[in-house]
Amino acid sequence: MRESQTAVLERGLTLTEEHATEPFETAWAGEARWFVQFLEPGSGEVTLRSQVSAAGLTWVDHEGDPLTVEVGGLVTASVAEFGHWLRLVVTPSEGTVAPLVRITLALKE
Amino acid sequence: MTTPDDTAAALRDAIRSTDPRLSKFRPLPRILAHDDFNSGLHGWVELGGNYNGKGEYSSLDRHFRDFRPPQLSNCTFFDVGTHGAMSGTYALKLATRPHPGHTATGIRRLTMSGRGLLQIEAYLAYKAEAVVDPNAEDAFGDMEWDGNRHPSESQFGAFTVATDLCGDDGIRYHTVVRYQNADEDGNMLRQWKYPVVPEPTPREAWEGKVDFPYAADFTAPNPEDWRVYGEPQELCMNEVPTKVNWHYLRWVIDTEKRKNVEVQLNDQLMDWSDVPVPIYEERYGSLENLLNFYFSVRTLSGQRNFLYLDSVVISADW
Repeated sequence: MRESQTAVLERGLTLTEEHATEPFETAWAGEARWFVQFLEPGSGEVTLRSQVSAAGLTWVDHEGDPLTVEVGGLVTASVAEFGHWLRLVVTPSEGTVAPLVRITLALKE
Repeated sequence: MTTPDDTAAALRDAIRSTDPRLSKFRPLPRILAHDDFNSGLHGWVELGGNYNGKGEYSSLDRHFRDFRPPQLSNCTFFDVGTHGAMSGTYALKLATRPHPGHTATGIRRLTMSGRGLLQIEAYLAYKAEAVVDPNAEDAFGDMEWDGNRHPSESQFGAFTVATDLCGDDGIRYHTVVRYQNADEDGNMLRQWKYPVVPEPTPREAWEGKVDFPYAADFTAPNPEDWRVYGEPQELCMNEVPTKVNWHYLRWVIDTEKRKNVEVQLNDQLMDWSDVPVPIYEERYGSLENLLNFYFSVRTLSGQRNFLYLDSVVISADW
C-alpha cells in the first residue's frame, strides 16, 4: 500500500489579505493536491500559488501556473515535483469576500 | 526461586534484545503499539475539538480549533540539509504556529481491554525554528549567543505527554507530564510540571461553564493550576536549533488505581506515585474504556516550536 496523508492546514480562515499556509514537510510524498473550500457565501476572486522551499524558511514560487478562481464551493489544484516543503499562497483580488475557508493538502507516496 | 513468569520475562527480554527496532525500549509484557514513523503516521492525528451535528466550524471551541496536523519529517535544516531520524529517515513532527501560546497536538486513540500498568515510551527531540536573518536578535531571555549558548534554546516553551482515560461507568481523568523549558520571556525553567485540575472539555464549554481564547493552554488554562515536580532537569538541546539529539522518555501509570507511577527522562527516574490525578466530578458517556495518549508542544516566545518523535511504544501488563 502507498503511504498517504490528508492535512487540514486551515480550518476557518477569514481571507482579508494574502495568506500563506504554514510550512508542511512533504519529502516522503510523490503526489500533492490542494483543496480550497469556501464554507460560507462570498464574492470575488482568489489566486492560488504553490510555493516550495529547501528548508522551510525561504520560499519561492513553484514553476507551475497559478490558478485564479471565483470564490465559492470547492476548488482544487495539483502540484508536481515539489521537493521537501510545500505551502499554498492564496491571494484575494481587491474587494473579495471569503469569510470561512478550509484548506486541505492531500499527499500520496 | 525462579517462577514461570520470571522465565517468560527473561525470554521476552532475550528475544527483544536481538531486535534493533525494539531493543531500545523496555516495554511491559503486552505491546499495544510500536510506532516507527518510517512507515506512516500510525494513527497519530491532530487533536480535534468536538463539533455539532451540522459539522459547523463555529461550534468548535476557539482554543481547540487549531492544533495543527502532524508531519512526517526527515528533519531537514538550512545548514546541514537532511538530518534524518534516530531510526531511518522519518520522524513525526508536531509544529506550532509562530504565535505566543499556540499549541500543536498529536493524539493516539485506543481503548482499554484491561486495567493495570500502562506505559508509553518515546525517543523525542525538541527545537525552536531556526532563524536566518541578519537583523535578528542574538539573545532571548536567559540565552545570549556565546558560541555555546543560543537564543533558540530559550525560545522553546514546553512539551507535554498526557492521557485521556475513561471507564467504570464514565469515570474520566487525565494524567499529564509537562517539561517546561522556558517561560514567555525566555527565562530558563527546565521544570517538570503537572496540573491539579482536569482539562476543560467541549461539554463544559457547551454548557457555558468555560470559554477560553485562541491559544489558551488547553490542558489547564490557568497557570496557577500547575505544580512543579522535583528539581529542574537540563536536557540536550545541543547549542543550535539544527542539531537533533534524541531523548528517551518512559512514563508508567496504573489504570486500576487511576494513579501515576513513574517518569523517566534519560538517566533521571522520577517517582510520580504521589502526583495527584484529578478526576472529573461529572460522568461521561460514549467513552467507555477510552485510552488516548497525546503529545503536545507549546510555544510561549512566538517562535515556531517543534516536537519530534522518532518512535513510540505503548505497552501494558494486562
